[in-house]
Amino acid sequence: MSARDTILSRLRDNRPKPAEHPLPPVARLGDMDNGQARFENSLQILGGQVLERQEGDTLATAIARRFPDAKIVCSAVPEFDGTIRIQDLASPQQAATVDVLVVRAPFGIAEMGSIFLSEAQLHNLNSAAHLTQHIVVILSPADLTANMHTAYIERPEFKSARYGVLMSGPSATADIQGVLIRGAQGVRTLSVWWD
Amino acid sequence: MKVKPVNHARAAAEFIEDTPHMTFHDERLWDLRQKRDQQMHILPEWQDLRTLASQIKEHTLANLPEYLEQFEANARKNGIHVHWAADAADHNRIVGEILEKHGAKSLIKSKSMVTEECSMREYLEPRGVVVTETDLGERIQQLDDQMPSHIVVPAVHKLIPDVAKIFAEHYHTDPKDNDAQSLAWQQRLAARPVILAADAGMTGGNFLVAETGTFVVCTNEGNADLSATVPGLHIATLGIERLVPRMADLGVFVRLLSRSALGSPITQYTTHFRGPQEGSEMHVVLVDNGRSHRLGMEEFWTSLKCIRCGACMNTCPVYRRSGGLSYGAVYSGPIGAIIDPTFNERKYSTLPFASTMNGSCTNVCPVKINIHEQLYKWRRVLAEHHELPFVKREIMHMAGKLMGQPKLYRAAINGTEVALSAMPRFVLYNWLNPWGKHRELPHPVSQTFHNWYKKNRVDAGKAAPKATAKKGENA
Repeated sequence: MSARDTILSRLRDNRPKPAEHPLPPVARLGDMDNGQARFENSLQILGGQVLERQEGDTLATAIARRFPDAKIVCSAVPEFDGTIRIQDLASPQQAATVDVLVVRAPFGIAEMGSIFLSEAQLHNLNSAAHLTQHIVVILSPADLTANMHTAYIERPEFKSARYGVLMSGPSATADIQGVLIRGAQGVRTLSVWWD
Repeated sequence: MKVKPVNHARAAAEFIEDTPHMTFHDERLWDLRQKRDQQMHILPEWQDLRTLASQIKEHTLANLPEYLEQFEANARKNGIHVHWAADAADHNRIVGEILEKHGAKSLIKSKSMVTEECSMREYLEPRGVVVTETDLGERIQQLDDQMPSHIVVPAVHKLIPDVAKIFAEHYHTDPKDNDAQSLAWQQRLAARPVILAADAGMTGGNFLVAETGTFVVCTNEGNADLSATVPGLHIATLGIERLVPRMADLGVFVRLLSRSALGSPITQYTTHFRGPQEGSEMHVVLVDNGRSHRLGMEEFWTSLKCIRCGACMNTCPVYRRSGGLSYGAVYSGPIGAIIDPTFNERKYSTLPFASTMNGSCTNVCPVKINIHEQLYKWRRVLAEHHELPFVKREIMHMAGKLMGQPKLYRAAINGTEVALSAMPRFVLYNWLNPWGKHRELPHPVSQTFHNWYKKNRVDAGKAAPKATAKKGENA
């Protein structure tokens, strides 16, 4: 008998009675505020930031001010040029040279300050979101959902994307004596640009 | 030869001797517990979430064969190769064969308790595969040749100088580096080239979704996403109990997981893998390794609900003061103490006794596993299976006799007053009396309650007075 059949038959023999353990209906609980203020507060708790917008700023001027030393600014959106387009990155090795990646998230989650990215936004170079030093995420306030329940119930991307990551602030670790460090092995900063 | 039981008490005693490490460990984990409480208090629906999580998991476990088949069919449809491993040997062979087929000699991986459970590194390395842990804590443990001491924070028992020493040895950094930020940066610098050159990547996983054939990985450092997306080959290994039926069920679990684990609202990365990246290959290994057997254990099957958050470890006074390595097992702390004996009853027979039975583990468990009750039940099972050490067995035996006979018990209790005040220390504090280790015995009382009651009750010498309190008043 294959391992598969052995496992399945043992599970059938050993399991508790299915009738005694019904599946509860899908939950939709908690705070239903999907406002920008709630998102920003959550984003800040997880170490993310809102990219500062001064009068007359464009995305390009705001990025130039925030990342004055950036040499390679990669764009994954049509409305911004950067120094290179994500379509022109040939490999993860090349993506690893990027200082700032600019990308648009299809939605964000107010409860967590999370933004969603998939292969659709990353042009099938999923590693680019993690190899870049910094990431700037364009997000529309209209694309905020309230919490994890509403996100999973309402957003079709969870069922269509092959790779779907919720990024909640930058990478982080507290593995050395409990000291919280923002910027571990993935992006060192994550900034949101409202648009 | 019979395997020897883990000497948890001795290893814990050694840990306690080292005050700076023990104190930090205790306080760090208690801090995580307090942060978890703060998150809990923010959410009025917290208890509803726990109830739902428990119900969803119990339902899934009762329907596991059907949901596994559903997961497999959907994952295959999306282009994922699905493998089944009955035990650790199966698992390691499957991973080894995938790597061999691709000629992969370097494997980068994120933290996975299943690969620890299967001792996968030990299997692959002699076969010429260089395995690099990319999670910072796990990497520290790998370089130090130790098991993870905690399922979420693997190197929590180490202090900054310990890490500096290990990194100096392996990464040639400054052994006196006393800055966590700079040490973490060294890990990033050391890991990047290895990640970029790796032939294959491996991750564990927190959830499998039957409805879509998705698996979900919740992490903080970004190393799991790098391990999964940089090489063209991604192998994920998950226990078969990780399933949930519907995508929408993840809402319940993601809201509970990191809040229970670290007191943060969510992990920095919550990644949903539903199929391979263009031009890449993706494999999922579904691992049984004793789980289907555990499902048939009437008193212990609900331990399979565990989502590996570590909240029970963070709150446990015994774990906090004894350190994860003292359990001598892949899974430590309260959850380890009820899972480990299913792997090897004799070897881990001491672990269910590493508890004060305060019930805190049960109270913080996000999926409502009755951990402390299972600890108690394991003690009974182990006693029935004669897996108790001689001294513990004899003491229990004598205590049982004593407590079964009121007259004998009272005589003995009166005797302890004399004994505790008159006996020299070496008689009271020796290896036959584990309660005399690391703690002072109670001061003897001059009069037992029973003696006081005999002297002071209203109708001394006659029948005992009838209780006047209303039933339930003092309950």
